[in-house]
Amino acid sequence: MTMFMQVFVSGLVIGCVYGLIALGYSLIYKASGMMSFVQGDLLTVGAFLGYTFYGLWKIPVAISFVMVFILMVLLGFGIERGIINRLVKKKTLPIYIVLATIAVSYILQNGAMYIWGSNMLTFPRLFSANSIKIFGVGVQPEALFCIVVSLIAMVILHIFMKYTKYGTAMRAASMDPMAARSCGINVSVSTGLTWGIAAAMASLAGMLIGPVYGVFTTLGATIGRKGFSSAVMGGYGNMYGAIVGGIILGLMETFTSGYISSAYKDLFAYIILLLFLFVKPTGIFNERAIME
Amino acid sequence: MAPLLEVKNFHYYYGNIHVVKDVNLYVNEGEMVTLIGANGAGKTTTLRTISGLTDAAGVRGEITFAGHRIDKMPGNKVAGLGLAQVLEGRHVFSKLTVQENLMVGAYLRKDTAKIKDDLKNIYQQFPRLLERKDQLAGTLSGGEQQMLAIGRALIGRPKMILLDEPSLGLAPIIVREIFESIKEINKQGTTILFVEQNAKVALATAHRGYVFAVGEVVMQDECYKLAENQEVKKAYLGEQ
Repeated sequence: MTMFMQVFVSGLVIGCVYGLIALGYSLIYKASGMMSFVQGDLLTVGAFLGYTFYGLWKIPVAISFVMVFILMVLLGFGIERGIINRLVKKKTLPIYIVLATIAVSYILQNGAMYIWGSNMLTFPRLFSANSIKIFGVGVQPEALFCIVVSLIAMVILHIFMKYTKYGTAMRAASMDPMAARSCGINVSVSTGLTWGIAAAMASLAGMLIGPVYGVFTTLGATIGRKGFSSAVMGGYGNMYGAIVGGIILGLMETFTSGYISSAYKDLFAYIILLLFLFVKPTGIFNERAIME
Repeated sequence: MAPLLEVKNFHYYYGNIHVVKDVNLYVNEGEMVTLIGANGAGKTTTLRTISGLTDAAGVRGEITFAGHRIDKMPGNKVAGLGLAQVLEGRHVFSKLTVQENLMVGAYLRKDTAKIKDDLKNIYQQFPRLLERKDQLAGTLSGGEQQMLAIGRALIGRPKMILLDEPSLGLAPIIVREIFESIKEINKQGTTILFVEQNAKVALATAHRGYVFAVGEVVMQDECYKLAENQEVKKAYLGEQ
């Protein structure tokens, strides 16, 4: 039971992180019709920024989180406006734009190494307690914090997209840009903002996983790919699918490591990805995946 | 008084292709005007350029609306001046509910309290939308989608509404219903310009009309006169 709970909690931790990343993929796919390889590295940048504000400059944790969040919205917005949108306007084929996101991904990764160095940094603890008991099992408070904050962020995003005027406008803009423009929506700003929110979600994941995993330049690279698999499993482009896919993948992975062998957890994750592509490309939430 | 909408020496180029050639037209406040003509005659391009929905790089000429130059203005700003468009093919937001679609139409309005009254009026005018208000717009029939598209334009309280092929793909009985509502909207003071391939209905509805052929305006007159014109009869009304 003890082991089961520990595996379960660590599965939820990484699953929530995958979910936050996958949310970004889905938002971007809906708004721009393409995939961005930058998501994982935005997680890395977010973790480094969090480390800098909270760990080095000793700014209170809540303020650090908000500062990172805002900076990352701007970074995501800037990537879309400054690079992606310019290429789209030049009528560049989507595949080349996806390649451009790979370029940005490596620039961010290497740039992070230039600024923060190539050693693994320790994200300072957020809580003084070493562990808290849940069902008699000791759990790191940062792990619980990660799960709770991720879920809260997802609920807030859901409320924003579903029940506010601007969220509804953003959904409208991603469904039908021309009709949205004719309703007075600034579609360029809306698309840029979507990338900004995706970046902020990724950076939040970075700050939450930092205290658990440590902070290093390739932190987001693997997580980014897993987040992509999660998005596919859930139904690429579906926000709720992204979250569910992420949590399922996280749990599967930790249970494989816990009860079979940690050596094969990636093998397992990517076989599942292929299986979904062949058997149920529309994912758990039935997003359109086949050309008509 | 100057017309509400004026298009002067308007040309449109898709790259090197000259699709609209020297179009001049105007619409006075309170009027209902139609553009008729065959497919590919440049009507839709003209309408979309007025709304700022085409690539501004292809636009030549001068378009003014309510005293503002709008020929290079982006669509969302044109909408802000009080010019709405009901697009060809309806373009409802298919995965938003009917009510959400209408609320997006009210995106630019600041008077939240009054939006609710207008919502009620639109539901009164199109009771079928009220029945389906929580349904996804993509699940509506073609006629219902057209009503929704019109409602979405109306709720922004525009000075003028442009409609592109409101009868497209609809059964005759629904077409009659749609045009009755368009007339009603005009009666209540909204200026209207619509493109229509069904020339018979168009000329029976509007006050004035322009006939487009291969990117040019070849005729313009009061609708009842156009309806009696021999050439129009032969080419567009299917009469001998």
